[in-house]
Amino acid sequence: MDRGMVIFLGALLTFSSSWLGLVLYPYWQLNGEKPYQKEPTDDPYPLPLQGEAVAGRKIYQANGCMYCHSQQVRSEKFGNWWDEHGQERTGADIKRGWGARRNVSRDYIYDNPTMLGTMRTGPDLANVGSRYSEAWQHTHTFNPRSLNNWSIMPSFAFLYRKEKVVGERSEKALKLGREWTVDPGYRWRPSSAAWDAILSTQGESIKARFLSDPAHTTAAIDPNTPEGKKRLLDFWLTTEEEGVQIVPTGDADALIAYVLALRKAEVPVPEAKE
Amino acid sequence: MSTATAILPHDRERAAAERAGIDESCRGPVLYFAASAIFWLLAGSILAIIASVKLHSPYFLTGIPELTFGRVRMAHLQGVSIGWTSMVTMGGSVWMMCRLCRTELIYPKLLYVSATLWNIGTLLSISGILLGDGQSIEWLDAPRYCPPFFIAGLGIVSAWVAATFRRRREKHVYVTQWYILAAVFWFPWLYTVAVFMISWSPATGVVQPIVNWWFNHNFLGLWLTPVAVGTAYYLIPKIIGRPVHSYYLSITGFWALALFYSWAGMHHLIGGPIPAWLATASTVGSMMMFIPVIAVGINHHMTMRNHFHRLKYSPALRFTVFGSITYTWVSFQGSIESLKDFSEVAHFTHYTVAHAHLGAYGFVTMIFFGLYYYMIPRLTGREWASSTLIRIHFWCASIGITIYFVGLSIGGWWQGRMLNNPDVSFASITQYLLPYLFSRTVAGILLTIGHIAFATSFLMNLAGWGKKRAGGPTYFVEKAPTV
Amino acid sequence: MNPANIAVFAVVIGSIVLFGTATIMALGWAFRDGQFDNFEQGAASIFGPDEPIGEPTDAFPR
Repeated sequence: MDRGMVIFLGALLTFSSSWLGLVLYPYWQLNGEKPYQKEPTDDPYPLPLQGEAVAGRKIYQANGCMYCHSQQVRSEKFGNWWDEHGQERTGADIKRGWGARRNVSRDYIYDNPTMLGTMRTGPDLANVGSRYSEAWQHTHTFNPRSLNNWSIMPSFAFLYRKEKVVGERSEKALKLGREWTVDPGYRWRPSSAAWDAILSTQGESIKARFLSDPAHTTAAIDPNTPEGKKRLLDFWLTTEEEGVQIVPTGDADALIAYVLALRKAEVPVPEAKE
Repeated sequence: MSTATAILPHDRERAAAERAGIDESCRGPVLYFAASAIFWLLAGSILAIIASVKLHSPYFLTGIPELTFGRVRMAHLQGVSIGWTSMVTMGGSVWMMCRLCRTELIYPKLLYVSATLWNIGTLLSISGILLGDGQSIEWLDAPRYCPPFFIAGLGIVSAWVAATFRRRREKHVYVTQWYILAAVFWFPWLYTVAVFMISWSPATGVVQPIVNWWFNHNFLGLWLTPVAVGTAYYLIPKIIGRPVHSYYLSITGFWALALFYSWAGMHHLIGGPIPAWLATASTVGSMMMFIPVIAVGINHHMTMRNHFHRLKYSPALRFTVFGSITYTWVSFQGSIESLKDFSEVAHFTHYTVAHAHLGAYGFVTMIFFGLYYYMIPRLTGREWASSTLIRIHFWCASIGITIYFVGLSIGGWWQGRMLNNPDVSFASITQYLLPYLFSRTVAGILLTIGHIAFATSFLMNLAGWGKKRAGGPTYFVEKAPTV
Repeated sequence: MNPANIAVFAVVIGSIVLFGTATIMALGWAFRDGQFDNFEQGAASIFGPDEPIGEPTDAFPR
């Protein structure tokens, strides 16, 4: 072997084969796929993202959400497990409620970039828009552990603003106890000395609120015993901080608008039938 | 072949002087590439540890948007793929090409431009991602303004390698040169196509992930792998003083890799909304990869046979052989992983992460460490200052990657089994994984300690702390033959 | 078989034929050109008078 040209031609040919087969051919087959319309009067499916959701996709991209969340529901025949009767079964994605049907290429024609994902550290989000409310999404994004104590998802508290309440509380303010709002992004608990100090000044009013809470009316409480102190603290931490509120920034609103727009497995399309 | 046929001292000196001249001509640019690569390796390691800790301790560094998990993960990948491995690939290719062509490097100054462009690109990429410009296109997360730097820098390197090859004085084209020539031809094509079709002039919907996985898999397969395997083909025979066992096997291995590796990759989209034949084609390509892998495996093993005791004496050989053995192992694993039944479990789990690191670290990076330990003293004319640092580096790296691989493979496999069973809640899968994710942090810290030892060695060498190499910049044994 | 599948089939078969022929022709040429003469000697091309076969060239620094 002493000809450079042989190597060059060989490298060219072998590589062009994969380029033609894996890139150009799928491009030719799938590029420019059209939306689906059952009747001419129906809305076409899918529709491009609207409004804030377009900006939200940028936030989703910038923060690498895709690296823990896929966006593809797989077939009823995909994967297998054995149920308690030793019966082999398949199709966990659909059975987990991540979508009513499998995803097909048409679901992604307006995605750019197309974030199918490669990892499921968190659940699939292809159809998450139909699973949770806007308020749930905001609370969860602000600090996932306020809703699921086992979650390892990062807190995105930096997309929210903590501000003084002027007049009425904002409608958009998150409904969260002070354990989540005193130090946004973290879970807060006062030291026992600090708690004693708080009790010495506000003890009576906290106790009154504790007793007026419907869940506690029958229970007697003694703030001077360690047990009573702890119960009061646990209660107090779940109450809202006075005079301040957590509201979404524009970025958070956009992100949640995008997440709520993820409904890739709702509308039936013929090619998804199995 | 008989080695004892009298080598005249005069010939010996002349050959040594020629080699010294070639090494001398490469010194500046190759050391610049090498030093930059080490810098990005350290940056990538720190980002890796941050990302790893965040996965089991979500409150770690919470509240800093620049350090949220997704961004750090993208930045880590850019640091180690574009910064570390690619820069070694380029610097090492230039050096080996010059040596194997027996020709001096021409216009070395333009290679400084190339490395500088590449450094600017990597810096923009990492800082851009941390500041919120990441693209969430796996392996191509660099913001849209970065690829021109990489394409320009890469163009210069490819042109230089080709020019060096055109000026060769050695008639025979050695196997390492085939691999390098092919790689510097494939990668610019691969990269430009991928950037165009995904980022600059985006294709519709699922065409993007298809092109994306074609790129990702070939980044390892047609850019890092050829140069790493080529490095092993140069270093192992050279270090132990014995020609490659079978040259026929090496040519088979090369062409089989060229043909089949480029077809792998689509199995990463298994079960996804893409035509089924694509994944099938990739499975075939992956299975055919057994041919080149076995060819290379046998060849390197047979070359090393009866010489394994040298692992004790040569740091370069130790790293290179570790990487070479891992190549066989990781490729077998990769072929198996492409099978549908296997992939249905391993897909979307940490199992794939473990596999990727075994390839990019256990194989490619380990061979590149070997390359450094061989190449740097010959460029600077200084021996390594401390055996202890090299030993620390080797043991941290080899134990670290083993812990990494074993932990995440086991955890990832069961993660996959549980994900496939809808009766297992997501909460319990998350909790099940925590100890395995923690083991990854331990591994990452070990690897980073190794990298710090490695960077220290490198800096000491540059600063001239090591002994002068006997007789001049290249390795002169003695003036008279010692055989 | 629908037309799309036939097209895939045709492309795959076509490229197998195309690349197969090219490969065989290239091999034939290489043999005639003498690329395989003294083939194994190529493995020795990286050695030279100052770093001959039989001499290791790397060791832990002392």
